Formats: sequence, structure tokens, C-alpha cells
Amino acid sequence: MQDSARQVLIIDDDEDFRASVGSLLEAEGYAVHMAASGQDGLALARAIHPDLIILDIMMESSTEGYVVNQALRFCEQFEGCHDTPVIMVSSIESSPDELYPRSEEVAMIRPTVYLTKPLDFARFLETVQRLAPRGARV
Amino acid sequence: MTTEVLPGLAESPAAGAEGAAAPERIVVVIDDDHAMRLSCRQILVRMGFAVETFDNGAAGLEGVGRLKPPLVIVDLKMPGLSGLEVIGRVHELDPETVIIVITGYATISTAVDAMKSGAYDFLPKPFSPDELRLMVGRGMERRRLQQESRRFQLERELLRHKFVTFVSHQLKAPLVAIQQYLDVLRRLGDAPEAAEHRAEWLDRCLKRAEDMQTLIHDWLTLAQVEGGALARRREPLDVAALLLPVPDTYQPVAAAAQLTLTCELPVEPLPIVGDASALSVLLDNLITNAIRYNRPHGSIRVSASRCAGEVCIAVEDTGRGIPEECLPFLFDEFFRVGPAEGETTRPSGTGLGLPICRRIAAEMGGTIEVRSVPGQGSTFTVRLPAGGATSSHPGVPNEPQGSDHR
Repeated sequence: MQDSARQVLIIDDDEDFRASVGSLLEAEGYAVHMAASGQDGLALARAIHPDLIILDIMMESSTEGYVVNQALRFCEQFEGCHDTPVIMVSSIESSPDELYPRSEEVAMIRPTVYLTKPLDFARFLETVQRLAPRGARV
Repeated sequence: MTTEVLPGLAESPAAGAEGAAAPERIVVVIDDDHAMRLSCRQILVRMGFAVETFDNGAAGLEGVGRLKPPLVIVDLKMPGLSGLEVIGRVHELDPETVIIVITGYATISTAVDAMKSGAYDFLPKPFSPDELRLMVGRGMERRRLQQESRRFQLERELLRHKFVTFVSHQLKAPLVAIQQYLDVLRRLGDAPEAAEHRAEWLDRCLKRAEDMQTLIHDWLTLAQVEGGALARRREPLDVAALLLPVPDTYQPVAAAAQLTLTCELPVEPLPIVGDASALSVLLDNLITNAIRYNRPHGSIRVSASRCAGEVCIAVEDTGRGIPEECLPFLFDEFFRVGPAEGETTRPSGTGLGLPICRRIAAEMGGTIEVRSVPGQGSTFTVRLPAGGATSSHPGVPNEPQGSDHR
């Protein structure tokens, strides 16, 4: 590898989602970290400063992902993550832009990219590669 | 919003409004009669409104579009755009705008037309300040009620939307898991990441498919109870007889989970009127929960008794208990208590079992309640109105008995 592996953090309460996406990313050469709740995810993000975050919306509460995203973007204690790209994922078909039509609302919660579950892996990997380009695998 | 008006269209800037007036306090007056505009303004300003006046329909409409007032007063008989036309156009802008029509006695029949085309009421000229005040006050009240009911409607709509989103999320989650495992397996082929996990992932796919089956089953049961298809029968039943087979049915499952199950029943019958199959669905849910959420070497106690005109069925466990803050939501669709302290996962469940129980109990005129001590266990108690003749065949609904049956 050209550089040490890129760090990806998956925050999702569904263990099967974490397992499948995690293995897919590991096979692509990423170092994968996982958290099962927004709270654990935030703690991990703060500790490891990942290069990319995959973030589920509906976890313990139905808007947990939005809250996590907002904290990452705007809270002081996550200063190191303010610009970390976030791929928000959910089975909800409407993106935050469609759900929250008022611009000031959506600005608070807008992720870098929104993708629906089940993930279209071709598109997902292309997005991951674009947001956290990894060096060529040896 | 400012209440600045176009030069030449109004006598003066809106009174009482240096800069801005709340949109809900603005009244627009459209009348070609200068004296009428002045007197309306004077009266309404004293009522605390910001008033904008216009001397013709076209300018008035422009003002309404810009100011979005809750209430508009319009003269029916004006040169140019008529009052009737103004009413239609104002309601095109906002159908909830309250419109009061001013009319001379000679045009009373036109006033009736105005009401038909959506005006709130009409004031025949000349009118007293009191008459104007009264009508504007009533008009504003009407506006308020209209908006309130719309707000309630919006809130209901929002709740419904949230529920639909949530349900679809719950229904999709197992399929997402399965689809993604299969897709990863296909993509990775013989890569080590896949080989290592293949067997485990296939097991998980099967598990999630089973979850999906259970979820659909519970969802349909709930729909059946709500639609009145389950718990519809009204037959005399003996609860004691219905509970007799409980130990035989559940002991093996309980034993497999290292639990003891006891069932305490009185010798005398416990008559109720209800639906036997619905009652067994209810019991099955409660007993299964008591097994699922118990601790190893714990116990389950099922009992039934008669108390003050009611038959009580209690299912008691020695499980983790339910945190107090969760109790109010326990019988809500899809609500689930989070993992216990120090655990990362919780037993699988659909979050529909207890809502089903509550519905069934209610269908039979009864109630269900829970008492719980965190760390010690929970007791679910179903109370059903006692009544009806007792069955002569345990567990089998009574047949009507010829002439004895009234």
C-alpha cells in the first residue's frame, strides 16, 4: 500500500448491516471501525478521527443519525471531524433535502452524500472511493 | 414584513405600524369612497389593527398579495374590478382569508351573491362603528378557528407520516440485511473476507428471514384484531379450563431456557364471555415474553383467579424488569425496551406482541396492566369481566342449550 489504510467508521444499530458493509470495505483495503449507537459512534469518531463515516439515520431514536451528523459538524468537541465526509444511509426513500424543505433545517443535518438501503454496492464503493480515496492495493 | 404601501394608492402608511405589523393583525380595506376608507381605518386602528386602504380592486389585490392579511373588507360596487371579482381573486391567493363585503341597500341581492362566492358576511351602508367592530371581531375569530383546525390536521398528518416511515423501516430492515449479505457474498466470490464468514452470514440470512416471517405474522394478527376478525366471537368460556394445558404446552420451552414454569388455578370455573382463540393468542404472547425476558434459572408463574366481578389472569416472571420510564410506552406498536445494562443485544422481538395483547383484552371488554421491579421481574395482569354460564366441557365454548338459551 502507498499509505496506511484509510479509516472508515460505520455507525448503525443493525449488526448485519455493519457486518456486510464492513467486510466489503475491508476487502477494498479500508480499516473498518464499528459502532452500534450514535453515542458510541461519536465517542469513536472523536478518538480515531476517521477519514469517512457511514451513518444510519433510524437507530435508538428515529432521527439519531441527523443528531449525530449535526454534532459532528457543529459541536466544539468534534472539531477534528467538522469536515469528515459523512455518507448517511437509511431505508427511508426521501433524502433529508426532500424531508426538510426549509433550507435552514436541512443545512443542520445535510450529510455529504445520502444513499438508500439496501446499498447499491457499485455506487456505494464509487462514493467511498471518491470521498476517501485509498492508495492502490498491493 | 413591512406595511409600506405604494405611493398614491393609500392615504397614509398603515397606522400603528412603524415598520412592521404582525401579519395576523393586518386588515386591508378596498373601497372607492374616500370617507368610507377613512372611517374604517379610524375604527380598526383603535381595535389595534394595522390598516391598509386601497381605492380600487386592482391595487387592493396587489396589496393583499403582498401583505397576506387575515381579513379583507371590500366594497361591492366600485369602478373597474368589481367587488365580486376581488373576492374570487383574494381566495385564489389564500382560501382562508376572511372577506367582509360592504354594500349599499340597493345592492343587497348582490351581497347575497357575494356570500355565495365565499364572502364571510356583509355590512349594509351606513353602518355604525359598533357594527363594524363586531363583524371584524367575529371574522378574526373565524380565521383563528380555521387555522387552529388546520394546524391539528397538519399535526395528525405529521404523526401519520412518522408512523408510516417507521413501519416501513421496520419491515425493510430484515430484507436489507439479507440482500446485502447475498450481494457481498456474490461480489467477494472466493475472497478470504467472504470465505471466512460465508457460513455465519447464511445463518444470519435465515435468522433475519425468520424475523421477517414473525413480524408479518404479528402485523397480520394485529390487523385482524383491529379489523374485528380476531376476538370477534362472544362465547361463554371457562378461563380455568383454558389455562389447564399451559404447563404441558410451555414447560418444554421453559425447561430449554433453564426456567421453571408453574400454573396456579382455582378448582372452581372462571366464567367469562369472549373469544377462546384470541385469548390463547394473548396468553401465548405474555408467556412467551416471560420466557424470553427471564434470567437463567428464573421462573414463570401463571395464575388465574376471580376478584370483584372480574377474572384476573396474571403472568409473572423473574426477569430483568422494565425501567419505569418505559412503562407508559410498553403497549405502543413497535416500542421495545432497550438492551439491559451491560448488554449490547436484546432478545429478538417485533414490538407488536403487547399491542396485540392490549387490543385483544380491550375487545373482550377488559384491560391489561403491568407491574415491574427492575432487576426482579414483571407481572402482567389481564382483567376480563366475569360472566356467562360456565362451560360443561373444559376449553370448549358452550353451545346454546335449546330452550334454556334466551
